[in-house]
Amino acid sequence: MNLTDPQKDALVELLNIGFGRAGAALSKLTGQRILLEVPEVAVLPVAQLDASLGRLASDKVASVHQVFSGPVGGDALLILDPVAASTLKELLTDEAALPLELDASSREVLTEVGNILLNACIGTFGNLLRVPVSFSVPDLDVASLRSVMERMIASGDAMRYALVVTAGFRLREASVTGYVVIVLTVQSLTRLLIAVEQWVSREENA
Amino acid sequence: MSDIPRPPAVGAVERAMLRWLQEHGDRGVFTTDAALIVRSWNRWLAAATGVSTERILGQRLFDVFPSLAERGFDQHYAEALSGQVKVLSHSLHRFILPATEKGEQMPQRGQVGPLVEDERVVGTITIVEDVSERVFTERELRARIATAERARGMAEAASRVKDEFLATLSHEIRTPLNAVLGWTRILRSRDFDKATAERAVEVIDRNASAQLTLISDMLDMARISTGKVRLDIMDVDLSTIVMAAIDVVRPAADAKDVRLITELAPRLPPVGGDRDRLLQIVWNLLSNAVKFTDAGGRVTVAVNAQDRLVRLSVADTGQGIAPEFRSQVFERFKQADASSARRHGGLGLGLALVRELVELHGGSVGVESAGLGQGSMFTVTLPARPGAADSSRIAPRPGATVEPGTLGGVRILIVEDDRDAREIIVRSVTDVGASVTAVSSAAEALALLREGSATDVVVTDLGMPGDDGYAFLRELRKLPFDRGGTVPAIAVTAYATGEDRKRALQEGFVAHVGKPFAPLTLISTIARAVTNGRG
Repeated sequence: MNLTDPQKDALVELLNIGFGRAGAALSKLTGQRILLEVPEVAVLPVAQLDASLGRLASDKVASVHQVFSGPVGGDALLILDPVAASTLKELLTDEAALPLELDASSREVLTEVGNILLNACIGTFGNLLRVPVSFSVPDLDVASLRSVMERMIASGDAMRYALVVTAGFRLREASVTGYVVIVLTVQSLTRLLIAVEQWVSREENA
Repeated sequence: MSDIPRPPAVGAVERAMLRWLQEHGDRGVFTTDAALIVRSWNRWLAAATGVSTERILGQRLFDVFPSLAERGFDQHYAEALSGQVKVLSHSLHRFILPATEKGEQMPQRGQVGPLVEDERVVGTITIVEDVSERVFTERELRARIATAERARGMAEAASRVKDEFLATLSHEIRTPLNAVLGWTRILRSRDFDKATAERAVEVIDRNASAQLTLISDMLDMARISTGKVRLDIMDVDLSTIVMAAIDVVRPAADAKDVRLITELAPRLPPVGGDRDRLLQIVWNLLSNAVKFTDAGGRVTVAVNAQDRLVRLSVADTGQGIAPEFRSQVFERFKQADASSARRHGGLGLGLALVRELVELHGGSVGVESAGLGQGSMFTVTLPARPGAADSSRIAPRPGATVEPGTLGGVRILIVEDDRDAREIIVRSVTDVGASVTAVSSAAEALALLREGSATDVVVTDLGMPGDDGYAFLRELRKLPFDRGGTVPAIAVTAYATGEDRKRALQEGFVAHVGKPFAPLTLISTIARAVTNGRG
């Protein structure tokens, strides 16, 4: 399933609203100006995610995972390679990061950042679809990207798609890139895309 | 048959579980309704915050804890009521509820989430955890990592110093050898004139001496660091040491057009020290000053006494010391510029040796410099010899004052059987204005004196055919006053051990100068003997 250009543009615009909220929340929390940008969006089958995120070539990645449920349900993840994860933590807290396995503080901060960002994205979709969405408590995992993805594939029998959003954090004249991955069933994705198109026409008519 | 227990009423297990959590949980848990009125507050929270369950139930959360709203938690609760779960990290929030123990806020993490019933948010639940232990462990871990990093840095620095030293050492040992070997080859070619030969010998001598100094410094350093240095302590007049050191350094200073200036205070009390080691200290400071001073510059050596301390300072107008290097100048193998492009040779041992030797003498050494290009001043402070402050012993006799370095008008009788040795002594003293009579045996000397030849001081070898120096002195003392029977006698001899010196002084010599001697040592010894009078 490929996105049409108008669909892509509309998704970027919507996600930017969510990212903007998340950036504002993080700025307020840390007392420094934090911008969050959405340079790229793509939709692809979950099975192809591993190849698509090949840029995260490191053995292990840090992933913050939240399940959301309601009329539109799925898994939302923020994925960072370990260097990006440590850099982000240091920029946010002014505290030297240790290897993630040893550093509960880093894991906790990244979990909170992921929580803010994923809540903002999914929350924006929920508002758009005018449906209630409920969330699980986020958890952070440090594992290979493949094992993270295998868990996604194994947890659903239906054919599932992933909405992959590049997330650029800009703070203190530095930038850190991560990925928000939203895994949806075909039905959920279809529902979302219809809602997006309706939103576009509403906006155009407004 | 009727014993089968009845199943509990619906909700009984759940209520029991809530009671259990209320009483026994290891973290704080509280719930509110959708209006943020507190509906439950467990025992843990009551203990941690000091706000009892009875007091808070039925109250609005932000009324009891206004600081929560001030810190932006109202937003978190608004989002929880919209269905979102919020995790709150310790690093970004530090704490959730104010809870102090011994005046310190308990570090906390937690989460705020919606309570959902029939797809409708009916309230919030907040979980608060004490993370003191984790925060402490992480702080320890960070400190340990920092310590390990520092240790690694120091080990790397030490290894770098060693590498630099080895590179410097091989360079410094090789350089004089190149000169020695080069000029030796020229001499072996048998195709050179007299001037070339003289130049060759001079260069070979200078380079061999430089290498000897280098090796001696290293051996001294090794001896000092293994505690094997023994000092032969006696009363020493630091100004004679200074004059001797100046004599050694002068050729190098002249060659560089660096002026050597001495400012020696009169009536200096002696210091207790080892002459050779003190000479080494002064020589090292002086040669260092000359080495780092450019043409046209000055090196000023001053000695003065104050409060039972004798202070020696060596000031130069040379390149000075950068403030960041000042604390390291006395460290071994340290040179400000250890790069291969450095202008100055040496191992970086000289000043380290100076400090070790000065400290062995119970003294201290320091350095001042206004910075690069501003020159520098090294100051050595040594304790004056207790009980030796009686300066009359070395006070100049009126009318017979001899300026340091000059023996103008002093009459010297030299007794030395070896022609070369005699010539060196004669040359050393005539250069500074003494009038000299030199003979090759005790008999000749005694004969001259008996005939009425006047002299102010006798300088004699000890080991001589016929009457040796000791026999000569005994005969000398038998002569009448007006035939030189009381003139001071100085032994100049290759018997140069501490024992030899002691015997010479016991036998009645006023001073003992070991061969080979620095001309200025002899001159200043003679000067002192003359100014001190006869004994």
